[in-house]
Amino acid sequence: MAGMMQEAPMIKITNLEKFYRTEEVETIALNKLSIEIATGEFVAIMGPSGCGKSTLLNILGMLDDPDAGSYVFNDIEVAHFTERKRADLRKHNIGFVFQSFNLIDELTVFENVELPLIYTGVASAERVKRVEEVLDKMQIMHRRNHYPQQLSGGQQQRVAIARAVVNKPKLILADEPTGNLDSSNGNDVMELLTDLNEQGTTIIMVTHSEHDARYSHRIIRLLDGQSVMENIMV
Amino acid sequence: MLKNFIKIAWRNLYKNKTFSLIHILGLTMGITVCLMIFLYITNEFSVDSFHKQGKNIYRVMRGFDPAKPRTAYLSGPYAPALLNDYPQDIKMAVRVRPQNNLVSFGEKAFNEQKVYATDPGFFKLFSFPLIKGDATTALENPNSVVLTETTAKKYFGSTENAMGKVIQIDKTLQLKVTGIAKDVPSNSHLDFDIVFPIANYTKDAGFNVWINNGLFVYLLLNEHSTQSALESHFTQFMDKYMSKDMQRFGAKFDLKLTPLKGIYFEDASSFDNVRHGDKTVVFIFISIAVLIMLIACINFMNLSTIRAVERSKEVGMRKVMGALRNHLIIQFIGESLLLALISCAISVGLLLMLMPWYNQLLGYKLSVAWNEPPIYLFLVGVILIVGLLAGSYPAFFLSAFSPIEALKGKLRLGKGGTLLRQSLVVLQFSISVLLIIGTIVIMNQMHYIKSKSLGYDKAQTVIVSIDNNDIYDHRRQFKDELQNSGVVSSVSLMSGQPGGFFDTHTFTAEGQHDVFRSRTEFADFEYVKTLGLKIIAGRDFSTQFATDTTNAVLLNRTAAKELGYTPQQALGKWIRNNGRDDKPRTIVGVVEDFNFLSLKENMDALVIAPNDDRRVAVIKLKPGNIPAALASIKEIYAKVAPVYPFEYSFLDQQFNTTYKNDIRQQAMLSIFSGLAIFIACLGLFGLASFTAAKRTKEIGVRKVLGSSVTNILLLLSKDMLKPVLLATVIAMPIGYYCMNKWLQNFAYRTTLHWWIFVLAAVLTFLIALFTISFKSLKAALANPVKSLRSE
Ligand SMILES: Nc1ncnc2c1ncn2[C@@H]1O[C@H](COP(=O)(O)OP(=O)(O)OP(=O)(O)O)[C@@H](O)[C@H]1O
Ligand SMILES: [Mg+2]
Repeated sequence: MAGMMQEAPMIKITNLEKFYRTEEVETIALNKLSIEIATGEFVAIMGPSGCGKSTLLNILGMLDDPDAGSYVFNDIEVAHFTERKRADLRKHNIGFVFQSFNLIDELTVFENVELPLIYTGVASAERVKRVEEVLDKMQIMHRRNHYPQQLSGGQQQRVAIARAVVNKPKLILADEPTGNLDSSNGNDVMELLTDLNEQGTTIIMVTHSEHDARYSHRIIRLLDGQSVMENIMV
Repeated sequence: MLKNFIKIAWRNLYKNKTFSLIHILGLTMGITVCLMIFLYITNEFSVDSFHKQGKNIYRVMRGFDPAKPRTAYLSGPYAPALLNDYPQDIKMAVRVRPQNNLVSFGEKAFNEQKVYATDPGFFKLFSFPLIKGDATTALENPNSVVLTETTAKKYFGSTENAMGKVIQIDKTLQLKVTGIAKDVPSNSHLDFDIVFPIANYTKDAGFNVWINNGLFVYLLLNEHSTQSALESHFTQFMDKYMSKDMQRFGAKFDLKLTPLKGIYFEDASSFDNVRHGDKTVVFIFISIAVLIMLIACINFMNLSTIRAVERSKEVGMRKVMGALRNHLIIQFIGESLLLALISCAISVGLLLMLMPWYNQLLGYKLSVAWNEPPIYLFLVGVILIVGLLAGSYPAFFLSAFSPIEALKGKLRLGKGGTLLRQSLVVLQFSISVLLIIGTIVIMNQMHYIKSKSLGYDKAQTVIVSIDNNDIYDHRRQFKDELQNSGVVSSVSLMSGQPGGFFDTHTFTAEGQHDVFRSRTEFADFEYVKTLGLKIIAGRDFSTQFATDTTNAVLLNRTAAKELGYTPQQALGKWIRNNGRDDKPRTIVGVVEDFNFLSLKENMDALVIAPNDDRRVAVIKLKPGNIPAALASIKEIYAKVAPVYPFEYSFLDQQFNTTYKNDIRQQAMLSIFSGLAIFIACLGLFGLASFTAAKRTKEIGVRKVLGSSVTNILLLLSKDMLKPVLLATVIAMPIGYYCMNKWLQNFAYRTTLHWWIFVLAAVLTFLIALFTISFKSLKAALANPVKSLRSE
């Protein structure tokens, strides 16, 4: 089904390059990488450690900018956007899920999930409604007043996913979302992502697990910052 | 958004109790000290600013010796003459004669020390508000008197009762209370309890003699006149009225005006018995305030930065979700503003609690203008400066990181950051060491002065003032009875006890072309014996020489030297006090120099002569029971001056009076430097906690690999102590320079011993080490398995 899309792809990167310079060495993290991802896809990115997966995800998420190449997101060239513009585009369109959850320890479950709504300027009453809705969906409503440290890993990741989706983003980027979880909790997370994808959210997920990758439509395999193979799932 | 800011700021404070406590404690102490000093300084600079006509009020100063500061003491005729001669310049002239009197009402009698005899315009010229009575007429009638509120209550129980009552001054004057003045605030150079018309004295024989100086003259100039315009007439004025006297003294006297606002900061050594301030002290205190605030702010910056690093995940996540750099800057600055606000609130509370103690330390009541803007402006200023200054570094530092780096928790503080933080710690400790050095030097100097041999015997010596007519008229009887009482070894009546008043007079001396100026002591024959002075040439005054009273004089060694003689050569030469002696006196003896002046002043020439002028009785007790001896003296005093209360002091307490301000400065400086090092250590403690926490894993690994607790302690402390060491090295030369300068205030001073600096260094080092090892030890002793698992 990939590649047959009539409409323009959601993400189109062309000859993307990213270097890291330290005092001693220069690392080429992404080497003239070109990828297209259509709206509604569920893509897994795999590859050995250090091949540039996280780097790619950060650039796709507009957390970082590339050194060369083009990145078109929904028909907009964003490769050279200012921080302010990127932040603006990001907060309305993209949700993030990390391996280490990255919940803010000082805020409760409810407040953590509420935070993206605050940054997009949603009114208070509407925020409560939407946070409760999503917490309900993630089945952590009963933990709404707990602090992250009081939750299990699986619960924390569910909060993180809740936070990622509360703004109803078009794209969710997940960097090894199951990396810190046991297989049962991991499967729960994968089910959640699959549900979200079925409801129309585009998902790009970095993973080391072939098992998790099987939930996706397509696997992009990277090696040394270059795409070496694409497997399309049946 | 704002609510979220405040919420997270508050949770952050709450969650990191140690850090918040260090922050708030340090800042609160800093702000409190600054507030205290701020109040002190505003009080100093507000002195006399409440007088509505203040900008046209001047005090007349009289110069008598180009080498000495002018004196404020003038005689009775100046004011009427000035007013008469320059009516176009002078609108009003008011004489103020400070005196002490026995004041009685019925059974109650007190020797009042703060009595002013003034011209009737006193309350018109100065804006001392009257609670009762009319300022323009209260002193019109010579038989009227104005009391302050407190004095009125002392005699009559209440201000209502006081009005119209008649009090008695020195048993001779009957005065009716016609006004009650508000108590004189501490920010006034004039200070009185009782004011009554000087008209009661203007007919006294000596009052209208031009050279009988003993009162102040205040002038109100006309709007169109100026200080210089009036001063330009003064040479002519002095020639007109004083030419004869100037000829007789062989000196030129001149007049000058001091604007009212300038009086307070005039040279305090002029001995004019009004309140004086010291600009050096003001400067020292401002410096201390700035330094302590600096220390507190540095703590704030360092700890906030470190704290912020620990919050990198939060920063990162906020950025991921779309927070912009300025959001984060606002948040961090907001948090530091919140902390500053909390600290300020606590400081104000603390200040209110400390106020009585602070007033006691200062020795007077500060007038705090709570209803005026300056103090609030100051508080807002402190909050803004601290909040913005201390908050902006971590804010800008942190918000500059990219979200990815922040999320990785990789906000390493970089080489530059570490260097900056270390330099700030060096700065903090330099200041602390500096203050410690200052404190030790001042303590050392005070000790030196206290224990220095002054050249006279001050032990077991009682001073009784001859300050009323009864005791004055019966002073011989008083002396004789004391000598016969058996408790006294000797008594001498004199014009000034050591450390007291020594007027400068002009002399004509054998073989001298120029007038010779010298301090004078007018005393009886027991002077040398009572003070235990040493005769180094010739002899003491003696009753065996009947003419000594009129013909003999003693010099101190300096006086002999200034006349160009060795002590031996001086004997037999003549000398004449231009103002006092009709004929020359012969120098019969020379005494060894003794410190009759404060040790701040150089040794001066002193001429001791038996002319009239007895102001104090100095009584040397026999060794033994002091209370019993005092009781005997009191009994004798009661016999000769029955209505006057018996008041006395000890000669060795004179020290505390003479060095009152230095002792206060010492006390305050020790407190403030103690606070400074405490605040600096709070910061060090914070840094140590951070280092220990950051290196928990490293310590764990090292311990697993076999490192001992001592090794780890050494490892942790070494890095922390380096800046302290550097600070000590930097502070020492600065401390040497500053304290050397301070010591120049004293004619007699200790050397800046090397051990002072070593002591300051060791002290700082030990305190710092103690602070650091507290945390380091905890880290070093922790179970390695635990710290490794926590990763
Ligand atoms: N901030 C950085 N500075 C220098 N080099 C970096 C930085 N971040 C990543 N790299 C380098 O870029 C390359 C790609 O890193 P990246 O984090 O994208 O790998 P990854 O595929 O996510 O690996 P893993 O599966 O281990 O997470 C690596 O060689 C890494 O060392
Ligand atoms: Mg990675």
